[in-house]
Amino acid sequence: MSMRDVYIVDGKRTPQAKAGLDLKDVQAPYLGAYLVKHLIDNTEIPTNMVDEVIMGNTGNPAKYPNIGRVIALEAGLHKKTSGYTVHRNCASGMEAVSQAFLKIACGRSDVIVAGGVESMSQMPLIYNKEMTALFAKLMKAKSMGEKLSALSSFRPNYLTPIIAIEQGLTDPFCGLNMGQTVELLAREFKITREEQDIFANTSHQKAVAAIKAGKFKDEILPIAVGGTLNKLLVDDVGPRDNSTVEGLAKMKPYFDKKSGTVTVGNSCPITDGGSALLFASEDAVKKYNLKPIAKMTDYHFHGLEPERMGMGPLVAMDGVMRRTNLTLSDFDLFELNEAFAAQILAVNMAFKDKSIAARFDVDKAWGEIDFSKLNVNGGAIALGHPVGSTGARLIVTLAHELKKRKGKYGIASLCIGGGQGGAVIIENLVR
Amino acid sequence: MANTKISLEYKDNIAYVGFGYNSEKSMTTLDVATMTELLSIVEEIQEKASGLKGVIFHSHKKDCFLAGADINLISSMTTESEAADKAEQGQNVYNKIEDLPIPTVVCVDGVCLGGGLELSLACKTIIASNSPKTTIGLPEVKLGLIPGFGGTYRLPKKIGLPNALDMILTGKTLRADKAKRMGLVAEVYPKENLLAMAQKFFDMKAPHHTLKESVKELATENFVTRKIIFQKVRESVLKKTNGFYQAPLKILDVMDSGMMKGRTSYLASEAQAFGELAISEQSKNLQHIYFMSEAVKKYTGPKGTKPLPELNRGAALGAGTMGGGIAWLMADAGMSPIMKDLTVDALNLGLKQSSQNFAGALKRKKISPDEFERKQRSITAQLDYSGFQKVDLVIEAVVENMDIKKKVFAETEKNVHRECLLTSNTSSLSVEEMSKALEFPGRFAGLHFFNPVHLMPLVEIIVHSKVEPETVEALYKWVLKTKKTPVVVKDGPGFLVNRILMPYLNEAGYLLEEGVSVKDIDQAALNFGMPMGPCRLLDEVGIDVAVKVAKVMYEGLGERAHPSKFSSKLAEKNFLGKKNSKGFYLYDEKGKVTGPNAEVEELLPKDKKKMSETDLQLRLFLPMINEAAAILKDGIVNTAGEIDLGLIFGIGFPPFRGGLLRYADSEGLDKILAALNNFSETVDKERYRPSAYLENLVESKTTFYEKTR
Repeated sequence: MSMRDVYIVDGKRTPQAKAGLDLKDVQAPYLGAYLVKHLIDNTEIPTNMVDEVIMGNTGNPAKYPNIGRVIALEAGLHKKTSGYTVHRNCASGMEAVSQAFLKIACGRSDVIVAGGVESMSQMPLIYNKEMTALFAKLMKAKSMGEKLSALSSFRPNYLTPIIAIEQGLTDPFCGLNMGQTVELLAREFKITREEQDIFANTSHQKAVAAIKAGKFKDEILPIAVGGTLNKLLVDDVGPRDNSTVEGLAKMKPYFDKKSGTVTVGNSCPITDGGSALLFASEDAVKKYNLKPIAKMTDYHFHGLEPERMGMGPLVAMDGVMRRTNLTLSDFDLFELNEAFAAQILAVNMAFKDKSIAARFDVDKAWGEIDFSKLNVNGGAIALGHPVGSTGARLIVTLAHELKKRKGKYGIASLCIGGGQGGAVIIENLVR
Repeated sequence: MANTKISLEYKDNIAYVGFGYNSEKSMTTLDVATMTELLSIVEEIQEKASGLKGVIFHSHKKDCFLAGADINLISSMTTESEAADKAEQGQNVYNKIEDLPIPTVVCVDGVCLGGGLELSLACKTIIASNSPKTTIGLPEVKLGLIPGFGGTYRLPKKIGLPNALDMILTGKTLRADKAKRMGLVAEVYPKENLLAMAQKFFDMKAPHHTLKESVKELATENFVTRKIIFQKVRESVLKKTNGFYQAPLKILDVMDSGMMKGRTSYLASEAQAFGELAISEQSKNLQHIYFMSEAVKKYTGPKGTKPLPELNRGAALGAGTMGGGIAWLMADAGMSPIMKDLTVDALNLGLKQSSQNFAGALKRKKISPDEFERKQRSITAQLDYSGFQKVDLVIEAVVENMDIKKKVFAETEKNVHRECLLTSNTSSLSVEEMSKALEFPGRFAGLHFFNPVHLMPLVEIIVHSKVEPETVEALYKWVLKTKKTPVVVKDGPGFLVNRILMPYLNEAGYLLEEGVSVKDIDQAALNFGMPMGPCRLLDEVGIDVAVKVAKVMYEGLGERAHPSKFSSKLAEKNFLGKKNSKGFYLYDEKGKVTGPNAEVEELLPKDKKKMSETDLQLRLFLPMINEAAAILKDGIVNTAGEIDLGLIFGIGFPPFRGGLLRYADSEGLDKILAALNNFSETVDKERYRPSAYLENLVESKTTFYEKTR
């Protein structure tokens, strides 16, 4: 089947803020709706000609079972616009983008907005099993006696809540939480604490410099925040201009408190944010006089063992490079999600070393990522990782920076909790 | 069936009485024919009562049960006894309904006001639809009237004295759910199910009183507490109305003295009071305003041949107090506006303004927290022109500077589609001149809002020589859609309202220079019924702004608008009014007056001058009347009604006076002219020189209203 070209007309994101800070009161749909509205308003596409809105989200709020549809409506799109939500853990936003790509490439759709939103601040505490059972018994009880009997079974530990975010970041299959899987990689590949801290510090320095230079102006759309929504948040909240390697070295390991090397400082923080990209077919580009900034070349998702999920980018990039006949040296920019410093460093080792690559069923050494082209405006360690959004956020950042640098190909990739990797290649059209 | 206004059907031994039958009008009112027909229907039912299970009242009209008595009928009444008589006839019909020996249920879907609610109260049970169009109330007081069909008698019995007083004295309307909580309505249903549910109430016993209700009743329904309630309410009414309005006081008299009376003698006093109020000048003035504001709802200006542009999306340029207010208005009207300014700090100011307005609505429970979030977020605050290609209406509210505004319009025109209307919220600059900045001036007009946007109902639509009729008509309809009152005016210094306001503010400056105190001047204006005295209003407007506007007026109108020097003196000393917390008065952070500004007092002449209140009022209001005459002469607007409506809705000219020119007409124009002539000799020749237009009116023995009808 012949596939059609898929264009990225534009991409926007919210400023990202560490959970509990500036974006804490913004409910998830509102992290996306205004972006979608802006993307469509800024074109000649009528609001009733958008085929679909696809949004990634992992901590699905009970109030909004289908955030994608809510965002389509809140964005002022026509009520006939189809909308849905996808979940592929850390790559939910990338999954949304990939579905948009496929649907346009195969000719099903012409205009799709895809992205992701995550309010990690608003992830709930949940009643545990015992308390839930007690509520169920209470609701069934008819007489006062039955009610009293149900109540009498209450024990104080029933009130110990399940913290949704903590449970979500623990792999249900291997039982390790994400940080522990990275401790495993650090141990196996002998990645030192100092190497991780240096990497993390560089991320902060690059992000701070990028903000100062106004590098994010084209990709960030300010958002109204505060209890009465009367103030615009313009910049990311997270990058620290006073970050030092020495400072980072003082932090205690978090996931293996006794002998580990992974700290809160060399991992990405829990973050709120959203992102969205407008995708169009060639027909739509012509019909609406669109001026796309990039073309999406292809994508690939790939699984590996859950306890080494941090190597996801290796297998995913391997897959997408094979399919597109591109190699590491073809890329002018790399946007790799810095879930953990150790995990990025491990991926690069595997690109260089055939024997390490082989352990993940990759049968060649691809070479090396040019670190001067990697996350040039900082990565998730500084900017944060709003889980449902990041997969799309990487592509937004990549497209705008490729355009500024007049580069050609760029690749975005990330590791996925549960043992997967995802990668997307785009081609800059503004050269 | 011989009925033409009300349907009557019998089905399964139930009588169905349907209003709004055969009616073309969107609202059903109780006119003479309807009342006559209702009487014969009720009498017929009375005869057949023994064979009936009950009566159900309903309406055939969508979204309207009964909108009350026909106001044309009320306004045509000329004598007290005629009006009282009409009220008694209505009371009689309703008494007969009340006395029917069988169950009576009324199904309210849509508007149920005045005589409509009074009819419902005469029935044993009221049920209502949950439609948002269902509004229930007794708004008579707003027209300077008392409900005359037994409303003041029956409502307290239904919902208790305190709630009844609140509804009757404020004229406010209730939604169905609120009416149910108050006990006015027995149950609320979807409108489609209303009729089917009505029979359920035929054999309903009187509702069982809860303990709370019984205690409440005990507390409010005894002689002593009722006296105390009346006293408190009377005090609060006097405070709120400054005693200017007779109707609420009359209502209190009737209800207070009627406490111990039986139905017949109570209703006689209610009808008597209705008669007195209905023909009072005050009520006639309020009815006059009602008719004017109804008339304004139809566009009567020139029509074009092209289809009107659809105004779905909006943009506000400039995010100051006005820009933020305009963005709020557009967001509230569902236009998802863009608000553009040059800096993020400026945008934040605008967001703060719109947020405050929405927060007020949230606090008054007019909107839910979700709606607050959605509406406030529907405003996109931004620094560039992205997204402007989807905008249908731009309202500019940047600084009052012709060059800057022209530049902004030229730039904006490049970023919008061809049908997009471009408007300026200028309060003093020439719209004709501004239109020259545009490639297509036909789509441009002035659109002048008053501060604060969310409270002031008036919008001046200012036309110029190249404006297309489609532009004016589309703007007119849009203003109406946002629930504001449009008035189309020609270009000229200060347009309509500010031009008449100018002498009010300017004369205050001269009076101060003559040695009259701030307090005396403001008090005289307040006692006339103005919402603010001129000094207080100057603080509100901003003294520096007023100085600028005064200069524009002087340049445009000549010596009669020669500005008093006092305001510029204050502005130079940085007394700018409320915005920097010090003007004639001092203000706290919340903008509340804390007291007079002693520093300003020191700038006033040492020799104090005492003037009588009447003289002060003449000094302030005569030049306004004179300027209004000049406006009619210049053809800025064509009718006295437009001027009066503009001043009432634009600056809060006291409604009970019916408007500035209605007041002038009622005082006698010959007297007004004589007073002007007198002041032109004793005070200032130029400022009080009578307008030729006014002289002509006096000469031809006519009035403003007769002349411009």
